[in-house]
Amino acid sequence: MSWDSFVWFALGAVLLWAAGAFFAWKGRKTLVYVCTLAGIAVFFAFILGMWISLERPPLRTMGETRLWYSFFLPVAGILVYSRWRYKWILSFSTVLSFVFICVNLFKPEIHSKNLMPALQSPWFAPHVIVYMFSYALLGAATLMAIWMLVRKDKTTEKEINLTDNLVYVGQAFLTFGMLFGALWAKEAWGTYWAWDPKETWAAATWLCYLVYLHFRKAKPAEWQVSCIILLVSFVCLQICWWGINYLPSAQQGLSVHTY
Amino acid sequence: MKVGFLLGGGLICAGLLLQVILGPVNWYWLAWPVNLAVLFLLLAAVGAVYALRGKVYAFEWMMHAGAAVPCLVYAASLTMLMGLLPQVREGGMPWLSQMLSFWPFVLIWTWMMFVSALAALNHLLRWKWKEIPFILNHLGVVIAIVAATLGNADVQSLELTAFTGEPEWRAVDEMGRVHEPGLAIELHKFTMEEYPNHMPKRFASDISVYTEDGKTLRGTVEVNKPLKVNGWKIYQYSYDVKKGPESAYSVLQLVKDPWIAWVYLGIYMMLAGALCLMLFMAPKPVKV
Repeated sequence: MSWDSFVWFALGAVLLWAAGAFFAWKGRKTLVYVCTLAGIAVFFAFILGMWISLERPPLRTMGETRLWYSFFLPVAGILVYSRWRYKWILSFSTVLSFVFICVNLFKPEIHSKNLMPALQSPWFAPHVIVYMFSYALLGAATLMAIWMLVRKDKTTEKEINLTDNLVYVGQAFLTFGMLFGALWAKEAWGTYWAWDPKETWAAATWLCYLVYLHFRKAKPAEWQVSCIILLVSFVCLQICWWGINYLPSAQQGLSVHTY
Repeated sequence: MKVGFLLGGGLICAGLLLQVILGPVNWYWLAWPVNLAVLFLLLAAVGAVYALRGKVYAFEWMMHAGAAVPCLVYAASLTMLMGLLPQVREGGMPWLSQMLSFWPFVLIWTWMMFVSALAALNHLLRWKWKEIPFILNHLGVVIAIVAATLGNADVQSLELTAFTGEPEWRAVDEMGRVHEPGLAIELHKFTMEEYPNHMPKRFASDISVYTEDGKTLRGTVEVNKPLKVNGWKIYQYSYDVKKGPESAYSVLQLVKDPWIAWVYLGIYMMLAGALCLMLFMAPKPVKV
């Protein structure tokens, strides 16, 4: 198995996931599971093939990481669907997965990019993947917050509830990402937390979303304030993700997270 | 909640005062057994506040989500400030460039841990199975952060430069002081693979470790694959960068952290707690 055959597996998987997402809107539960799981199986067959032919798990290069990202998105999507029955979640995960598949298809030169030894760890993929998934969910929560602030009194209980759920799951994944990073850092550098600028912003972001969760518990009626907390938190998240590269604190090669 | 924000403001002022009087927080004061004493003091304080909750209204209030909001807001703000300003060991902006030794920062984080511990205790003592997610999250974060903070002064981190065929038992700390960690390391072979552009791809050291109690252990240390011996973790740290694959020596890092098991316990509790957060703690979906 090589990257040459990727396009066919990817095409098959995306079509199946799209069918699953379509049936979710139509409320056809059995077909949702059949199509989505079939797509996941097709995609995993490719990963397995790569694994066998590379004689190592395909986790080493950026392209290979994106492969897992594209794979886990529908997995997470179907898990969330099975519990919350959100009609849109599978469309969301399919589109996001498709974007990353396209990056792999159209930017194949990145596949062989050198990876410094510290990044060659089994923690690399899960650390990045769960963070990306969390960012996606919290991004959706931010859109909801803006929507609710614009509509003001027309906001429904269901919209608030949906936003809460997005943040709960997003915060859970944010925690996974942060702690996977800590466990990995202990294996790579001997210390689990070094207050590297990226880590500092990750901590700040994590605290911001905790403000939201606790504020919602304490003052459930003041949902407009919670929406504003979400907007501030998302700014923090963006600084953590990419804004940090433009901050003086991360210059001078002080961060191991500059890329 | 307003009271909470006032309390936080008070803590910041107290912290500034301490900063002026005592100077920056010196974390080395916390070395064993002072950290143990501080731990007992904190636990006693949490216990006392819990016991007096019926008598003092403020203590009762501290156990609710509303009390968490102000301390989280302060902690997030100071952490953002730390992320905005370059953090350097010496110099830079007064106080704020060494945020980790800045008393207001330390007091606010301590307050946050205090409130979280109190909430955990409150749920722990009103035990029900459905309280487990709450306890995992609140107790987990307290165990991880308190153990990491109190244990920090007890962490030994040394650099040992091993030359081929010569057992080396001396190692230096960050300050350049020489230590004898109680084991000797002999380098058999340093191997290095490079990418076509000479970027390092993989480097590893085939070493033997001789311990004081007479054990000999042979193994390979490479980046992301440390070796564990007698409470020490041995990491591949560096090599002769000028010579690359021909390097005659390998620099190894030796780390001993007596509190690490507690930090891991806290981290695993937080991981389980995060799983619970999305499976059990998220509000039930509203049906249309």
